[in-house]
Amino acid sequence: MRSIRLVGVSKSYDGELILDNISLEVPAGQFFTILGPSGCGKTTILRLIAGLETVDAGHIYLGDEDITNVPIHKRQINTVFQQYALFPHLTVFENVAYSLRIKKMGEETIRSKVFEALKMARLIGLESKNPRSLSGGQQQRVAIARAIVSQPEVLLLDEPLAALDLKLKEQLLVELGALQDALGTTFVYITHDQFEALTVADRMAIMNEHGNIEQIGTPKEIYEFPHSRFVANFVGATNILEGTLHIDEGTHQVEVFGLGLFNVFIPVEKFWMIPGCRLYVSIRPEKIFVSKKIMSGFSNHLTGQIVDIVYYGRSTQYRVRLSNGQYLLVFEQNEEHFPQETITYDDEVHLYFQKENAVLLEH
Amino acid sequence: MKIMGRLFGGQLPFMFSFPALLWQGIFLYTPLCMLLVHSFFDIDPVTLTYVFTLKHYVHIFKSLYIGIVMRSLWLAIVTVFFCFLIAYPVAYYLAIRGAARYRAFLLFSLILPSWTSLIVQIYAWFFLLEKNGFLSRLLTKIGIISSSTHLLNNFFSILIGMVCCYVPFMILPIYAVLEKMDKRYLEVSADLGANRFQTFCRVVLPLSLPGVYAGLLLVFIPSWGEFAIPMFLGGSKYMFWGNLIVEKFLISAEWGTGGALVMVGVIFIVLLITSCYAIGRFIHYWRERKSKLQYQGASYKELWT
Repeated sequence: MRSIRLVGVSKSYDGELILDNISLEVPAGQFFTILGPSGCGKTTILRLIAGLETVDAGHIYLGDEDITNVPIHKRQINTVFQQYALFPHLTVFENVAYSLRIKKMGEETIRSKVFEALKMARLIGLESKNPRSLSGGQQQRVAIARAIVSQPEVLLLDEPLAALDLKLKEQLLVELGALQDALGTTFVYITHDQFEALTVADRMAIMNEHGNIEQIGTPKEIYEFPHSRFVANFVGATNILEGTLHIDEGTHQVEVFGLGLFNVFIPVEKFWMIPGCRLYVSIRPEKIFVSKKIMSGFSNHLTGQIVDIVYYGRSTQYRVRLSNGQYLLVFEQNEEHFPQETITYDDEVHLYFQKENAVLLEH
Repeated sequence: MKIMGRLFGGQLPFMFSFPALLWQGIFLYTPLCMLLVHSFFDIDPVTLTYVFTLKHYVHIFKSLYIGIVMRSLWLAIVTVFFCFLIAYPVAYYLAIRGAARYRAFLLFSLILPSWTSLIVQIYAWFFLLEKNGFLSRLLTKIGIISSSTHLLNNFFSILIGMVCCYVPFMILPIYAVLEKMDKRYLEVSADLGANRFQTFCRVVLPLSLPGVYAGLLLVFIPSWGEFAIPMFLGGSKYMFWGNLIVEKFLISAEWGTGGALVMVGVIFIVLLITSCYAIGRFIHYWRERKSKLQYQGASYKELWT
């Protein structure tokens, strides 16, 4: 188990720059996810690490070893491909045994290693089956078993669950997490699905559509303290208000056009925020409280009119039109069987949020 | 379509193939049956009536004819072998390694000779190989052969003609299979540690076997009965099964012997191919069974310990 480090990596296809000077470190033994929209170059990063593509510039390190020019079949890095790509002419057993046969291991060793991997992937009993006769989830498990059987230093997963339905996806995510704990292998997991990325990651990187890494951090850091509007919008839903910063005698306020002043909290690391600068305020919908009554104890208060209600079961999403014409999303947990107040379309409501829950963004 | 289906009671696919079957029945199976009948009868010189006889069959099981059949078989096998040697790399290059933008052009130039008549193709080689022909003069100039060496009218010249005419029939089925093959298998194989040669042996070749079998059959069957190429490029020095039949029917008018030769040849080739198929199935079945038992043994062991 070693870390993966990309230093100044660039890659272009047919003259189109996909990755421009990317640097990224995946610490050893972590479950690392790379989250980004389709076509952002995250798969290219994975293919570069795997050795399926060569870099135009920059270096890739496995631990301290420079593997930039090591050919694919000599890298201790295996990949679980999106469409599984199980060999159709081999049984499940032989599919899993493939890398061991390449290494010309003894029959007994191969058998015990394969069965260990099959056991981990919960595939015992299917070893003599043809992969085409298996369900999607089982095929995915075979692909995972095939990739882990030779104990690679790093396991790359390219949207491995994209083709599966939600329930199966959730189940396999839990299994993947447990598998990573058991193996201790460094996992690099590529996905465009924020749910998958947040669920399993120890740390995650967010890429934007231009192939740049916007932010790296734990799922909680990413979700609660996004560095940019892109991250805030891409991971979860959020409300963005644009305004100007005012600082008077220790009170920090943002003036939003048409809505007045809001109290905000400026953490120490945001020292660049000086009075008068333009900035963005991001407030997660679930951090806004909606009510038809006047309440106290909140640092900020707005009013608006309900234009849309979506009932999700465990929560309800309201879309509220503010007095400046902007819309705000609000999530409310449906905690009570019989709620104290019913909010319906066109109701005038009060919205409250705490200043600590609003994140200030530069761009 | 629904109404038609109801009318013919689920036999619609068969009904559509009926004209083709009719055509084959009239123009292929009927003449074959007539040959079969011919091969069992002879005209009695006294009464001028047909009498049943087995003498044609007795006649052809002579060492002379058996030698000819064996030589035809040998020619077909050697042709298939060299066609495979040439065709597989070409198909592999076209389908996997070659640049996609030249693919259409290369395929086109591969099929182009088949648009001309076989005789034209043979004569092209005739002019290349004849004494003082292009190849002969070129090789003499380089000093590989002396000017008196004949390149034509030997087994070598026949083989060149055979391979040249039949190689597209080997390339196309292999190409079709390789082209359809999911190229990610190559990436997966490399990712799992296999070099190119290992990937070829363990993935590409096994997955292309259906195409290889189709190519083997497509080349073997016609080259076994080929008569035009041996006739033109082999002079009249070599007699093959096809030439023998041509001679029996067109030159010496021994229809009975000719019919018997055709029957024996057809039965021989059908038996040969079906037995090859049966052996292949048996090996497959045997290996599958062996591996299944092996897994089961291991699986029980793993589960109970």
